Amino acid sequence: MKRRTAIRNLGLVTGGLFLLPSCNFSEERVPLVLSKLKITTEEEILLEAMIDTILPETDTPGGVSLKVQNFVWTMLDDCASPEQQASFLNGLRGFNASVKEKHGDNFVDMDKKERLATLQNLMDDETLNKDLSNFLHTTKHTAVWGYKNTEYYMTQLMPYKLIPGAFSYRTKTIDPNEKININA
Amino acid sequence: MPNFNIDSTKKNTFDAIVIGSGMSGGWAAKEFTEKGLKTLVLERGRNVTHIKDYPTTNLMPWEVKDANQVSYDVKKENPIAARCYNFKEDSQHFFTKDKEQPYIQEKPFDWIRGYQTGGKSLLWARQTQRLSDFDFEGPDRDGFAVDWPIRYKDLAPWYSYVEKFVGISGEYDGLETLPDGEFLKSMGLNATEQYFKEVVAKKYNNQRHVIYGRCAHITENKEIFMKQGRAMCQTRDLCRRGCPFGGYFSSNASTLPWAQKTGNLTMQHDAVVHSVIYDDEKEKATGVRVIDAKTKEMTEYYAPVIFVNASAFNSNMILLNSKSKRFPNGLGNDNGLLGKYIAFHNYRVSISAEYDGNLDKTTTGRRPTSGYVPRFRNIHKQETDFLRGYAAGFGASRQIIQDSEGLGEALKQNLVSPKYGNWRVGSHMMGETIPKEESTLSLDTEKTDQYGIPQLRINLDYDDNDEKMIADYVEQFTEMFEAAGFTNIKAHDIPDKAPGLDIHEMGGVRMGHDPKTSLLNKWNQLHACKNVYVTDGACMTSTSTQNPSLTYMALTARACDHAIKASKKGEA
Repeated sequence: MKRRTAIRNLGLVTGGLFLLPSCNFSEERVPLVLSKLKITTEEEILLEAMIDTILPETDTPGGVSLKVQNFVWTMLDDCASPEQQASFLNGLRGFNASVKEKHGDNFVDMDKKERLATLQNLMDDETLNKDLSNFLHTTKHTAVWGYKNTEYYMTQLMPYKLIPGAFSYRTKTIDPNEKININA
Repeated sequence: MPNFNIDSTKKNTFDAIVIGSGMSGGWAAKEFTEKGLKTLVLERGRNVTHIKDYPTTNLMPWEVKDANQVSYDVKKENPIAARCYNFKEDSQHFFTKDKEQPYIQEKPFDWIRGYQTGGKSLLWARQTQRLSDFDFEGPDRDGFAVDWPIRYKDLAPWYSYVEKFVGISGEYDGLETLPDGEFLKSMGLNATEQYFKEVVAKKYNNQRHVIYGRCAHITENKEIFMKQGRAMCQTRDLCRRGCPFGGYFSSNASTLPWAQKTGNLTMQHDAVVHSVIYDDEKEKATGVRVIDAKTKEMTEYYAPVIFVNASAFNSNMILLNSKSKRFPNGLGNDNGLLGKYIAFHNYRVSISAEYDGNLDKTTTGRRPTSGYVPRFRNIHKQETDFLRGYAAGFGASRQIIQDSEGLGEALKQNLVSPKYGNWRVGSHMMGETIPKEESTLSLDTEKTDQYGIPQLRINLDYDDNDEKMIADYVEQFTEMFEAAGFTNIKAHDIPDKAPGLDIHEMGGVRMGHDPKTSLLNKWNQLHACKNVYVTDGACMTSTSTQNPSLTYMALTARACDHAIKASKKGEA
């Protein structure tokens, strides 16, 4: 038993060591490879911070650990029109300036509470310019979509069956105590 | 010294040639090879082997890169194909891309094509409803097109023959408008569909029916399916990816491997048929000219019997392009009617509503079919200001409402706390359209495609009869929905939706009694060139309202039987 505990602790320690550098040394990030969009590491970090605010890590994995930010970039890169892409990037590039103007700080430098309040504030603001508003709402909408499309969500939270089996379809009487599975 | 010419002619000679490997071509291949005929199947697209070439079939949703959305670039390059409801990231490889075969739209028409082994049988909606005498007698009674040269009794045994092999899930409804077939177990209507069925039966004194949509899915284990290597439908409802179980019928899963096993099948891919060869001296067709899609080289293949199953419009194209001294206007086209009287199914309108009953019930699992409402207008006599009528799809599902308001922990909580809403009910119209002389296919005199084949000109549109029918459908279904207590009833007519997305284009080489007014006889032989048969959608005299693939398959099996018997007797 002691040996197992020791190994587990060792795992925790090494895990921590491995994790540590990737948090602070942003220049060591491997840039996301996209086919059309040209984005900087700072822009990647900003979107990631937004995803972390929209879908934070709680007792269940959040958007960032499920790589929802990559989903948002990929969908924008593959499926959006050049006009939609330009509007999104324009919004993203005007985001920090708006945040600074209204809240006096860079979004990524804020703590989690401030980020949440700031983002909520901006999203409720109907006077925002079109590109910024489009950027915020597209990010939220696509993040929710991506989150619901993750392996985690579709196996742990709302399990999807690729092969339900013959005669899976039937009418059933609802048990009010049973959790609803949107993918059942 | 060998005579290379004779050798190559011999090498390219078969007992039968089938143009096209889709729904009907696959059946011709099966029937001929089973009876011992060395059969060449010409497929203009690439090879798609069952299971092996279904690259997306086992992907989990999160493994499909763009969440099953079609990318901007693909949409932009394929505005036509991308309008098809079934054109998705996981199925786009089974659709012919727009640039492969340009055509001229005299009026807007979305021509959906699937050039590969199995054709569109990989992509179909798998609804299999028989025609009845109310359909076969329609043109004669109502005075349009020409009389069908066959009646239900001629086709009934062939429907049964085909259904037993295909596997049809259905219920014995006992309706004269939609004859019963050889059915496997039903996957059932749900509680709200069943409720609507009862409301409609009562309100209209059993003159209108809501039934379970008969579909080409295996729902019972039988030896005939095991022999084909097909298993029961696992209700994945991912048919468009190709089914690894062979749960639904496709040429790829069924008729073509069956034909292959006989040892009598030769499949030639990338084989674009240019024309049918007519020998003026022998006074019959002797073979076909084929352009290799890759090398663009032309090769001739020969056979005493030729089946044209290239898909409705392509079969027209091939015949129009088959010019000879005897037939300067296209093969069999003595009366100038080849390419005329084309028609389609009017799918322009749908209707949605909500139902706040059955709130203690929901459904679980997936079902690859829905409810079906057979035609109820103008059955026994003309009773409306438009000809014919419409069938309709009908389905109900319990709404699950997911709140995606908020940010942060509140949002995450919302995304795991869905609630039941009302039932959502919906129907879509499948209207019979009237084949008219001015609805035409023709070959352009200047523009050609990449193979040098003249481009097809399509001239087809909605008419006044279609508009009246749409209005009636909306009126009648609103009345039916109101009778059931459905609320929030909304009709969705999309006047911009061009014909074609029904993927039920038909006619141009219609069947009939008289060589003066039709192209094909009651056995699907060209009146004027009897060793050429057309048994795909091109042969349809009228469209009925029913999904037509089952009828093409039955007509094909019947015509093959006739061709084999005729060749034994030394005819044709």
